[in-house]
Amino acid sequence: MLINANSNTNRTEILQNKYLELLNLGVEAEKILVLVQNSKKKKEFVEKIKKKSENGFIGSLKIYSFWGLIREYILENWAIVENSLKDNNAKIIPYLSGLEISQYIFKKCIEEVDFTGYNSKTSLLHQLFRRNSLINLNNLSKEEINKRDEILQQTYSNEANQTINKYKAKTIDLRAFDYIRQINIFEFLYKKIENNFEYVFVDDADEITPCTLAYLDYIKPSVKEFFIAYDEFGSSRLGYLGAINVDFEKFLDEKAIKPFEDDLKTKNALNIFSSVKEDKKIDVENIKTKTFLKRNEMTNCVIEDIKSLINNGTKPSEIAIITPLADEFLKRELEKTGFNFNFISKSEKLNQNKLIGYLLELIKIIIDTNNKFVSPYILKGILIEILNVEKKEALLLVQEYKIGYEFSGINLFDLIKKKDSKKLKKFIDIYEKVRFEKVSTILFEIVSNFVVFKKEISKDIIKINQLLKQIGDFEDVFRDNFDRLDLIIQLENTIISENPVSDDEIDENSIVVSSAQKIIDYSYKTKYQFLLDVSSENWLRQDIGPLYNSWVMQKKWSKETFELEDNIELTKDKNARILYKLYLLGDEITLYSSAYDYLGAENFSGIDKYFEYKNELIEKKENLKPIVPRADQKEVLEYKGGLMSVSATAGSGKTTIMLLLVDKILSGEILNDIEPKNIFVLTFMESAARNFKERIKAKYPNLKELPNISTIHGLALRILKENNNFSRVGLDYDFEILDEVKRNSILNEIVYNLLGSTEKVDLYDGAISAYKNELALYGDFECKNKLFLSIYKAYDERLKSENLIDYDDLLLLSLKLLKENEDVLNYYNDLVKIIIEDEAQDSSAIQQNLILLLGRKYENIIRCGDINQAITSTFSNSDVEGFKDFMKKSKNVVMDRCQRCATGVLDCANETVYFAKEEKIDAFCDLIMKPVEGKNIVDSSAVENFVFEKENEENAFILNKVKQIIQEAEKSKKPVSIGVLLRSNFAIDKWSKIFEGAGIQTFKNSDSLINNPCYKISLLILEYIVNPYEIKLLKQIAKELYDIGFYDFDTLKYANSLNEPLFLRDDFDEQFWWDMNYFLFKNHYSIYDLAYEIGEFYFSKTFEKDNIHMVATIMTKVRNSQKTFEDCVLRLREIQFKNNFSNIKFFKNEEKNLKKTLINIMTLHKSKGGEFDYVFIPELTKDNLCLSVNDCKLKEKSTFIQKVKKNPKDDFELKKEIVEENFRLIYVGITRAIAKLFLSVSDNYKFFGKDKKYENSEIFEGVLCKK
Amino acid sequence: MQKIDTFSANSLKELDKSFEDFKNKYIYNLSIYKKDERTLLGQKFHSLICFYIRGFDVSRLVLDLNKKEFTFWQKLEEKLKPIKSNFIKTEYSFLIKDEVNNIPYYLTGRFDGIFKDENGYIIYDWKTLNLPKNPYDNLQSVVYLYALNKIYKTNKIKMRYLSIEKLETLDVDFVSNEKYKEKIDKIILKLPWFNSSSSNDSGFQELNF
Repeated sequence: MLINANSNTNRTEILQNKYLELLNLGVEAEKILVLVQNSKKKKEFVEKIKKKSENGFIGSLKIYSFWGLIREYILENWAIVENSLKDNNAKIIPYLSGLEISQYIFKKCIEEVDFTGYNSKTSLLHQLFRRNSLINLNNLSKEEINKRDEILQQTYSNEANQTINKYKAKTIDLRAFDYIRQINIFEFLYKKIENNFEYVFVDDADEITPCTLAYLDYIKPSVKEFFIAYDEFGSSRLGYLGAINVDFEKFLDEKAIKPFEDDLKTKNALNIFSSVKEDKKIDVENIKTKTFLKRNEMTNCVIEDIKSLINNGTKPSEIAIITPLADEFLKRELEKTGFNFNFISKSEKLNQNKLIGYLLELIKIIIDTNNKFVSPYILKGILIEILNVEKKEALLLVQEYKIGYEFSGINLFDLIKKKDSKKLKKFIDIYEKVRFEKVSTILFEIVSNFVVFKKEISKDIIKINQLLKQIGDFEDVFRDNFDRLDLIIQLENTIISENPVSDDEIDENSIVVSSAQKIIDYSYKTKYQFLLDVSSENWLRQDIGPLYNSWVMQKKWSKETFELEDNIELTKDKNARILYKLYLLGDEITLYSSAYDYLGAENFSGIDKYFEYKNELIEKKENLKPIVPRADQKEVLEYKGGLMSVSATAGSGKTTIMLLLVDKILSGEILNDIEPKNIFVLTFMESAARNFKERIKAKYPNLKELPNISTIHGLALRILKENNNFSRVGLDYDFEILDEVKRNSILNEIVYNLLGSTEKVDLYDGAISAYKNELALYGDFECKNKLFLSIYKAYDERLKSENLIDYDDLLLLSLKLLKENEDVLNYYNDLVKIIIEDEAQDSSAIQQNLILLLGRKYENIIRCGDINQAITSTFSNSDVEGFKDFMKKSKNVVMDRCQRCATGVLDCANETVYFAKEEKIDAFCDLIMKPVEGKNIVDSSAVENFVFEKENEENAFILNKVKQIIQEAEKSKKPVSIGVLLRSNFAIDKWSKIFEGAGIQTFKNSDSLINNPCYKISLLILEYIVNPYEIKLLKQIAKELYDIGFYDFDTLKYANSLNEPLFLRDDFDEQFWWDMNYFLFKNHYSIYDLAYEIGEFYFSKTFEKDNIHMVATIMTKVRNSQKTFEDCVLRLREIQFKNNFSNIKFFKNEEKNLKKTLINIMTLHKSKGGEFDYVFIPELTKDNLCLSVNDCKLKEKSTFIQKVKKNPKDDFELKKEIVEENFRLIYVGITRAIAKLFLSVSDNYKFFGKDKKYENSEIFEGVLCKK
Repeated sequence: MQKIDTFSANSLKELDKSFEDFKNKYIYNLSIYKKDERTLLGQKFHSLICFYIRGFDVSRLVLDLNKKEFTFWQKLEEKLKPIKSNFIKTEYSFLIKDEVNNIPYYLTGRFDGIFKDENGYIIYDWKTLNLPKNPYDNLQSVVYLYALNKIYKTNKIKMRYLSIEKLETLDVDFVSNEKYKEKIDKIILKLPWFNSSSSNDSGFQELNF
């Protein structure tokens, strides 16, 4: 019997009835084999049979999951395998062990094989695991493997095969087989045993694995009848999960019955399937779409939707949340609602569980006989959470230990033994009893003696049992051949990928949160399906790596090559199956997407592309003033396609016009047949891209699909990730982008190893980037500086071995990918119908190549920029000449009207241009800014300049001026913005201290971590937890939280009055006392939980809410790289001034509507794009702003970079370039001012505490005196 | 709340002893398990005997036994050799359906071996631990004999415990199905959801566990 029907039908019931019919006819149950997809379905099948049977003996049931059959078969017939072996390691029962054991064996085998030069050692284990798994799942012969390696040109296949063979031999020696290895044993066995099954039932046969199919094929001749139910559009587990698409009609030589073809649900599902396959948009009535910018907004909406459903009587079990990203953030946000959630597919490490985390730490302390220092934070947690010691007592003991260890290296157990406490005495007794025992015995004894078993921790107990089993298996398999500490470390890193670990965890009265695959695997039917993160690439990520390819390694693969097209088609096919099956399981489906992911990066390549997003270009009229373009702006809007360059001066309203241009393109007025996905807007800064997106979204709230707006690096990353393109340039799927913190630590290490000092790291840092670009532009060139070359090579190798790429690689690799892969290039050429670049004067040659290549088919390229504002060429690879060339060959539009600056400021800026010309410095093009009638403030004395004798006079002047401005603003109740623009980052600190010392709050526009309030507060509290005796910290915390308005003045007063540690006091009336003690004794094992809770407590009602998850993620990443909690806190402080960590992009509040006067302190460079009512540019010495080539002093960093270039500039050329850029830099600074500009300098500045004379910059004489 | 309706001899034993323990162990899963040497030895011997009875060559498998264990095996093999061919089943699992108060329940278990000769059937149970003190009241005897009777529908059955280490045997004769059922039902009725008066959804909460 063959049934071709989907899972929404009662096909399983038909099978069950047939099964019962056979039993009733007297067929013994042991003669009937039933195979279902997984253990959940097995349980359901058995339950149905139980319910429907008559009283009496039902039988000896042979109902298995696909994998369960293999396991049972091996256990039942193991003697045959053992008798075929010849060694002395015989076992009566083999170890059918978990993946953690094979992982350990694989690790040992990798150590024995030389993978010299292999890219990405961090994921080698994963690579080999997948490769081995695919080979076994598909039962590939040696020849078939070789063939596939040839197709994929996999360079390390010999090493991989060698390792896998070693692994296989080792598993035989140990008789330890994970479920993948069991396939080999099963295949060996079933051919040696006579088949006893007369009838075979298979449900969900479309998800069958090749090995199970081969078995069925083998026993087919001896089976009386098959009963198979399958769905020809099913097979959602195709690819790396190993399902195989089978023609069952051919297999049984029988026509399938299709009993349920006509229902509407099936029709709609089929419509989905074919739409995806045929690149048509899915348009089914009961699917709704909701789009957001931030993931937080999306999550909030989901939560509100759930609340409203449940309040209206929907049962929790009628709702399923489906996402590939059931991460910590989502989990906590959902749990906050108070509803029950059941996370059924979240991978988690064992020690993510607080109880298990502390238990493992305690065992480590017990078995580590070397008396190493114990982390006080962990010790506190163990004492309170496991040994139930009273909080204050625990903290005092920890402090005593900390001091004792520092002074005399005191042993923890000696200290505890001296304590007169029943609980601690009990612990010492257990310690003495078990310290030399097996890990499993230690764990068992501790849990039995100290953990209070109650209903609330039943989930923890399940996990402890899982842990005990894992440890027990380990001890059985390896006996004494491993170190006890090694075992714990191995276990700590083990990920439980199958969650729940048992069915016992599934609570029926809860909302399920799961991946799509698990919902399908479990056939989890719900009335409402909420599909989250549909714009995330994680929905579609295919598993492909340098050592395997889940498509090509399928048994059925017959092509000689693997092209991009194959990948796209196969991925599409798989997605069609997944969406089809998913749809059948839900009645009402809502898709939620966000433009940014949980770490602030742009989402792309999600499943949203398959759905019909009705883009409604309905403008939100309210609050929006209509924009009437000026004459010089109009020309931009008259664009009709082709190449166009826009030279736009500062304050010319460029962003507004670009927005209008994108509007016009969206509406189809300019180009035909264009969708948002065909429009690419590239900005220089991430914040500009975000701002652009926000403005489009604000203008068109119903526009569900946004154009692609990102930085060029964002686009490059997308190109590398999309369609598994990374594998074409030798990257593994989990490659990461090197962030500033890691780059710094790698370079420090390399430079220190070679030079014995880290003094010159900065020098090499800049040179590496320059050299990479040179190599890309002139491939045949090699730098002659040997020392640099060895640093460069060490850096390059280190990146490769850690599967990292830097920002230069990002561009270079995507360019390489496009140049070397015609199919990939064609894909993007078809997609990119128009490309608009902002700040084009700052583009590097590589970026320009990339842009021109991407846009080459339609050649609709618009590049906007202002040559006069090119201020990055001396420290980056930007190439203003490239933009000049583009201007020559494109239609050039000039926007020379500036409506921002007061007339005096405009004059000053133009004077600067004239001055450069007089001095014969080629800094500017002839673009003179003109005012816009009726718009600019008319004030010929808008610019004031001051030369002081002493530094403190200059400081006092600016401070007083700022105070005066604030007073006036307060008086008139019109807040204003003030910008203090500086030459260097160091000066920011000085000036913020000056203002803050005078009680004036400042806003430092810097991307440094510590500038983020959530990071700052969380770090301070972590520091307090580590140092609860530091009263200074408490005062600082109170002050910071008072400043942001969280605590009132009384709380601040209370904190300032403290003179002893808080935990020793009983100030029950003080909120601050409660808060600080709460965090001190919360004892979260995971730093994520701690950081999240701090963030939630202080920032959940502020803009910073969006950054809580990012801060917690940063802290988790740092924790993972540091040995102890204390080291982690120190490191978090060390990196506080770094701008970029793990490429996490904080959201910043760039609210334009001022509520109070703000002092912004930033570098001149950073100020580009900004505007302030009042601008101060102090410290304009010649050292800071030299405008004369003869006086220009070269810094080593500038001259060194030239040494790694093919065509180095001589010192004169270099000086010229620096002076040119200085001109443009001050020009940028000047043009930030709306109403007033104050330029100042002093003749003397403090240098190591003493006054030192400095010359004034030429700007005073050349520009300002003339005025 | 999980309303357990399927029982093994062991879970019935737990329920018979204390409802509280049963609830913690089988409903809330509040117990931890660690493999001990005894259990491992038992598992090894069960498999070895099963392979031996099924006719496999076990000469390599016994290399896994230590000296002491091997001595046990040699004696056991001697005892099993002449009766080996009378075993009709080994490691045979069963599922029985029954009811109390019109509410169905299920009994599961696994016979180590079923022996058959002209006198009827014998359930063999290999013991690494001591033999049961009151074998007739032992719930394993009760459930297994009750089950075998349902399978072969004969009263000519008995249960035989065999100590692996001492090679002692202890036989339990079949008494009566009614007696067995009465005993099993009585234990099961300790569960509120088998009490027809409180078998509704709220039964569990009402009893305030």
